[in-house]
Amino acid sequence: MTTADVYKTDPLHGSPNGGVMRRLNMGTGVIAGVVLAVAANQLLKHLTKDHVHGPDARAMFTMVGWAVGFMLGIGAFTGPFRWLSGRDLTHADELFLAGKDQGVSRYFRFTTDHKVVGIQYLVLVMVMLGAGGSMAMLIRTDLISPNTGFLGPQTYNSLVGLHGLTMILATIIMVTGPFGNFVVPLMIGARDMAFPRLNALSLWLLVAMLPILYSAAFLGGIPMGWVGYTPIADQGPKGVDAYMMAILVFAVSTAVAGMNITTTIVTMRTRGMTWTRTPIFVYGVLASVVLALPAFPMFMAAELLLLVDRVMGGGFYVSNRGGQPWLYQNLFWLMGHPEVYVILIPAVTALMELTTVFARKPLYSFRVAVLSIVGIVGLSVTVWAHHMFASGWAPDLNGPFMLTTEMISIPTGGLFLVILGTMWRGRIWTTFPMMCTYAMLWNFIIGGITGIYLSDVPLDYQLHGSMFVTAHFHYTLMGAGLTGAMGALGYWFPKMTGRMLASTPAFVSFWLVQIGFNVTFLGMFMVGLEGQPRRVVHYDANLHTGNLISTIGAYCIGVGMLVLLYDVISSWRSGELAPMNPWGAKTLEWTVPNPIPLENFAVLPVVTEDAYGYGEEPVTAPEPEPVPASAGAAATGVDQGERTPGAPA
Amino acid sequence: MSPRKLIGPVATVLIGGAFVSVLGLLLHQSLSPAVAARVAAATTPSSTERHHVYVNLSTYPDSMAGEHGKDGGANPDWVSYGPGTNIRVPAHSLVTVTISQYDGGEAITNPWFAKVHGTVGGTETVNGKPVTQVDPEEIGHTWTLHAAPTAQDSLFVSAPLPAVPDSAPLAPGSAYPKPIEVTFSFYTKSPGKYVWNCEFPCGDGYYAKFGGPMSTRGYMSGTFTVT
Amino acid sequence: MSVATTPAGAPDRSTRSDLRTIGLLWAIFTILGVVFALVVPHHLMGRPASNTMTEVERTFTVFSVASAPVAAAVWALAVYSLLRWRRRGAWKEGDPDGPALRGHGLTTGAWMFVSSALCLFLLIWGLDALSKVDSAAAASGDPLEIDVTGQQWVWTFTYPSDGVESDQLVLPLDRPVVFKVTSDDVIHSFWVPEMGIKVDANPGMTTTTSTTPDRLGTYHVRCAELCGLLHADMETGAQVVSTNDFDSWVAGQGGHA
Repeated sequence: MTTADVYKTDPLHGSPNGGVMRRLNMGTGVIAGVVLAVAANQLLKHLTKDHVHGPDARAMFTMVGWAVGFMLGIGAFTGPFRWLSGRDLTHADELFLAGKDQGVSRYFRFTTDHKVVGIQYLVLVMVMLGAGGSMAMLIRTDLISPNTGFLGPQTYNSLVGLHGLTMILATIIMVTGPFGNFVVPLMIGARDMAFPRLNALSLWLLVAMLPILYSAAFLGGIPMGWVGYTPIADQGPKGVDAYMMAILVFAVSTAVAGMNITTTIVTMRTRGMTWTRTPIFVYGVLASVVLALPAFPMFMAAELLLLVDRVMGGGFYVSNRGGQPWLYQNLFWLMGHPEVYVILIPAVTALMELTTVFARKPLYSFRVAVLSIVGIVGLSVTVWAHHMFASGWAPDLNGPFMLTTEMISIPTGGLFLVILGTMWRGRIWTTFPMMCTYAMLWNFIIGGITGIYLSDVPLDYQLHGSMFVTAHFHYTLMGAGLTGAMGALGYWFPKMTGRMLASTPAFVSFWLVQIGFNVTFLGMFMVGLEGQPRRVVHYDANLHTGNLISTIGAYCIGVGMLVLLYDVISSWRSGELAPMNPWGAKTLEWTVPNPIPLENFAVLPVVTEDAYGYGEEPVTAPEPEPVPASAGAAATGVDQGERTPGAPA
Repeated sequence: MSPRKLIGPVATVLIGGAFVSVLGLLLHQSLSPAVAARVAAATTPSSTERHHVYVNLSTYPDSMAGEHGKDGGANPDWVSYGPGTNIRVPAHSLVTVTISQYDGGEAITNPWFAKVHGTVGGTETVNGKPVTQVDPEEIGHTWTLHAAPTAQDSLFVSAPLPAVPDSAPLAPGSAYPKPIEVTFSFYTKSPGKYVWNCEFPCGDGYYAKFGGPMSTRGYMSGTFTVT
Repeated sequence: MSVATTPAGAPDRSTRSDLRTIGLLWAIFTILGVVFALVVPHHLMGRPASNTMTEVERTFTVFSVASAPVAAAVWALAVYSLLRWRRRGAWKEGDPDGPALRGHGLTTGAWMFVSSALCLFLLIWGLDALSKVDSAAAASGDPLEIDVTGQQWVWTFTYPSDGVESDQLVLPLDRPVVFKVTSDDVIHSFWVPEMGIKVDANPGMTTTTSTTPDRLGTYHVRCAELCGLLHADMETGAQVVSTNDFDSWVAGQGGHA
């Protein structure tokens, strides 16, 4: 097949300036979504009548109607429709879909350009973090004293679950979404993602998901926390249907995004970008989405079975109907533990990437970095049942799961080594992103060590289900993960927006957030050790001190995050214009001009060495023939050819 | 740094704070008005004896007569306690609770809750007749008071309410049959906040019959504040 | 990947002085960490009320002491690099880069060896403790068996050998107890924080945990698994009393001792 066959232009049918697809945007999506939702709701009202599962089925189909309608209305299926009707998209149509010459309006459309999708992801993540953060503030306000009565148990329980789910979903996409989409194609020298339409699809599915998720608050709430344990989920009100539906949509989005990013990285690296010359952040993103690919179907399956339980009267998780609550827990944590590394790995590798730039040093032991990532990915799918030590499920397996869990600390230590080794005798430029690396080192050590306590079975019997666990995973997901994402934001902000992120407010925010964070969660460790269970709306009077400390710290985080929000908005609107390569980095995304043209590179670059040659003589461009293997290896210390990182040198 | 540069960040923080506050106000659930205990007329304040107070409650097969208004609120067909679910009594007092039981029922999951626990003499009176337990196959509801982290003392009282037979005729001029009157007494300790709930699973249509009215405030559970 | 030779060559004078200062920082941080590990967790977790909790606190302290040097090493390196190798002013085109160190085989090897050894130590310690926990109840004779039932939102305790059922947990001092835990509805988690025992109460299944209470007093039974509306209030007392007091309590409840 030649390119001419693919882009068969047909001026008779695909009018260059008209057509329905050119009028579709977020507004038409919302209209179509609401129309289909109302239609489904009314239809089910007639179909289910007074059936015992009627209300759940009705709620469920209303949500499906919304999601399908929204995606139809925004034009997510334009391509397949046109193909089915025999009028495949013309080149002009494709350019329109990519957002060519459309200004701001392309951010509100089903636009396929990876840079638009990256910015859309960034805004979406910020909205979700804002929503989750607001809920955190309310939770901490309720816990400011032993019995405030501020929220009441029902609202509190729902809020805890929605905060958790919002934050988990937001942190899963917070690096691979904005930076994986915007930066990775640039970094590997590609013109776009492998499947640009799937890319837009994954983003807009998430937008369709948000109203579904938050409708839970108006449908009686969710009584079972973000983990959605059964059988309490079988008992809950219609809010649980919203929870399930939101996860189903999210899982589809993740699968689509994961396949797309994987294909892009594996097949679309530019000429000369062998695996040993591929930047470590690209590895991080790849590891994250590859890990998500098997993980999220588990979650999806768990929720589908729950759906059958709730909407059709199945009994997968109901013991007196032959079901098994432990089945849900196994399926859930088969997703739940890999997911932690889905969040962490890209964040940490983003920090590795920027540490080489701000320390002006090559990455310390690229091979250890890659092997550590591979080791974590491999081990992380074998540790899930450490979340179930205290559940009573399979006590004989506690020992093996303790073994795999503790082994994961070895490759995690490798990540620390790489970052510390890169800092060693560097010329460290303490920008806001670089300070995020330092904050991550501090926080992740605490999160990692407390994780070791929890991996020890007898200790876990005591600590499981207590505030100690809550503090532990906030140290890993927020202290390391979110801090890494904030560093990535500061680092790539000039490329993504064309402007510099103002430094002073960023540092004010940094110290407020990091100090507030440590105050909050050290207080939470304290009450956990003193015996406070998770997810309680009020607590024993002798736990007051630690909770008060936590609440004060949480307000401090809240203020700090708002300062960062201000910084992002004001810098984006009127910040200092960024030069093409403000940090003097060597990766490819800094070789394109601001603003970045539609297909990124006028001429695709050819890579002759890795991006970490700080303090080394640059390898000259290959001419007329490729550089002899020995010359490249001597100059860069990197193997030539398609040799895998694990192969002996 | 000029003060003008502070306007933006300060405004952002204020707007954010206002947003969270509004959200908090919307989500804030104030307790429905408390059912205050009536002090017995015979007790004089100067008496060295404990106060003796009375609390009257009812259980209905719907929520028309509880704290959800005459139309029953969002879920009129849910069972409910009335006239309210938040009860306030004085500390170190003898509390006599009378519950008018209008609802039917069936067998209870845990027969232990068919027995009377924690009352004076370990008994309750059912339509005037003292008993220590009722038929576990014919339970309507229970009124089970227990300690919470917000209470200093342990206080556990559980009184089973026998079911009104399904065949009972409606009382004249009423939407319900003639109620079963259950009365029991117990002593409160120091001030604190306790909770009570029904231990007879009566949230029909939900898993373990503990969803719906059982898991929603203002129906089959409430607070018990000792002041 | 081979160890690249640096322009400055192998450890020179400045590297040695770097290492000396980092070592000093490491020692200071380690000492602070060890002191913290020895004092704070024990203080927060309170005096143990059972042999299980004594073991839990010991493990917590040992793990904390063992991790102190690791955390101290990371923080010492980070703090030193921040203070000593910090660039004054922004980077400009043409500024010299840092040394082109792409790895150091000995350092990498040592790091991996130490972290593996620590991991192995934690694992052996954990497996040993686990085997003790699992065999404790089985080994000791004549344990008191108590059936624990969680239901939304009350605990009840049945003493089959004494014919007693109660809303409060009452335990005789120094006698092994085996708890058989189940639930009537959703999942709860039976937790006595002062005794270091926890196991989920699952509907339709029985799970087991055991301990030997060894200090008189009144403790807490809490629910550690979100179980709905009054989850936070699903709490009751756990009293440890002398054998005589236990027998009279059983008699008072109408049981047969």
